[in-house]
Amino acid sequence: MRTFSILFQKELRSFFLSPLAWIVMALFTFLNGWLFSSMVNAMRLRVSPRSLVYNLFDSGWFWMGFFILFPLITMRLFAEERKMGTIEGLLTAPVRTSEVVLAKYLATVVVYLLIVTPVLFFFPLFQWITGEQAAFQPGALWGSVLGLSLVGMFHVAIGTLASALTANQLIAAMLTFVFVMLHYFLGFMERFGLVSGSTWSDALSYFSTIEHMHSLSEGLIDSRPIIYYLSFSVLLISITHHVLESRKWRT
Amino acid sequence: MIEVKNLTKKYAGRTAVDSISFEVGKGEIVGFLGPNGAGKSTTLRMLTCFLSATDGTASVAGYDIYDDSIEVRKHVGYMPENVPLYPDMRVIEYLQFRARLKGMRAREAKRAVEEAMDICSLTERKKSIISTLSKGYKQRVGLADALVNKPELLILDEPTNGLDPNQIRQSRELIKHLGERHTILISTHILSEVEMTCGRVVIIDRGKIRASDTPQNLIRRLRRPGEIILEMKGDAGAAESGLKKIDGIEAVSSTQVYGGWSVFNLKTDPSIDVREDVFSLVQSSGWKIRELASRAASLEDAFVDLVRKTEAEEKETEETAS
Repeated sequence: MRTFSILFQKELRSFFLSPLAWIVMALFTFLNGWLFSSMVNAMRLRVSPRSLVYNLFDSGWFWMGFFILFPLITMRLFAEERKMGTIEGLLTAPVRTSEVVLAKYLATVVVYLLIVTPVLFFFPLFQWITGEQAAFQPGALWGSVLGLSLVGMFHVAIGTLASALTANQLIAAMLTFVFVMLHYFLGFMERFGLVSGSTWSDALSYFSTIEHMHSLSEGLIDSRPIIYYLSFSVLLISITHHVLESRKWRT
Repeated sequence: MIEVKNLTKKYAGRTAVDSISFEVGKGEIVGFLGPNGAGKSTTLRMLTCFLSATDGTASVAGYDIYDDSIEVRKHVGYMPENVPLYPDMRVIEYLQFRARLKGMRAREAKRAVEEAMDICSLTERKKSIISTLSKGYKQRVGLADALVNKPELLILDEPTNGLDPNQIRQSRELIKHLGERHTILISTHILSEVEMTCGRVVIIDRGKIRASDTPQNLIRRLRRPGEIILEMKGDAGAAESGLKKIDGIEAVSSTQVYGGWSVFNLKTDPSIDVREDVFSLVQSSGWKIRELASRAASLEDAFVDLVRKTEAEEKETEETAS
């Protein structure tokens, strides 16, 4: 536990020592700020049956930013250490590989949460500035917080694994980008007419991030997505652990 | 301190380390010597639990490298080849992180880091960001990291690689000094370094141990003719025939230099010192002498000889096999 917290702190610090985290945070906030204001404008022009929260997180633009965010914050985790050789110093210190993996993973999840937090503040801020009647329910906001956390944990786990697979940050970033996007589009297969039959569409809707976000951003807390994202995160992180351990045995 | 038994590491289609066995006793400074690609780094990486062995066992500080890997790592200070460091961190920050990672409490770590920086003469650069340091300083940061938690054993992989002659001399002094408190295993392909710092040498070539002895014994074991240089003024022809008659001299070659001086290169039986006879010959003939020296075989000769010999042997066995 002590080793974990030392590694965790080091990881968090190294995020904020490099300009990357700050730039990503600024751009992500800017992008979503712009998206938020155009969403407000759109809702002023045309009556929407859905809440502001639902509309923002339903927007393809929001997810577009997401696809790029995850590769950027996860690509360096292991790839950089391998490229620079610092992984040798790290793994010859008296630390368990599992502590290293968990510290890196959880620190990145925290960084992710810090990056999306400003977006969640848009809603109360909007209310406070305009003094308008609430365009959403608090439950919708809390549901969205939960949804974004779960999706983030899952996607950071994808990125962590990708970064452990290669010593090249660019390859790690591309792998993460492709898998994050593929996973997102699984939910659209039916809409694109790529699959037919109710069995397939039922199965695919279980994977569909956008479906999960729909119910969560309406304040509807379903246990299925919670179990889905958590169990997949655990699976991906344990694969990462195995990948790193197997490096010792590589022939 | 280190016991290696039949340690083997196979990579796809290639055996990097082939069933090697050696021991390092407490307090020794042992040089791990071999040409590039001989399997030095692979062996050290197995001993520090960075790689797993394909076969064989080893124990470090009394712990098995496979079963007690965490304990092994607690007792070893390891400096990897090319000294990988985090470039964005400050020297003091990095060392404190490493000390804490090696299990020291915050206050304890702070003191240990000051001490390590003092030993490695890093104190004046402690606030520097690592990426701005010169290679010599980076090497010292790596060394300070290896010894920060005062491990019984230091394993240093090519610690003087890429340093300038002055820095090499400094780090040699430092390693000698550290040898008073730690057992040290140091890998290198620079022979003069081993000759000056190590009490014992393990020579590895193409994954196999070729020799393990003190540098002096390795040189003594070397079966090669002695070599004596004589520079004199006088009748060169008479000198040559006179020298050839001396018991123990096997071959004579000479070159003329300006002013009537000649330089003779004498190949001798290594078990006989012929210098006295040479001197008497020159003296009795009334010639003048300005140099009479025996060129001692160096560890380099021993090393080259060993590596060549095994190469030739391997070729022979291959030929007989085919």
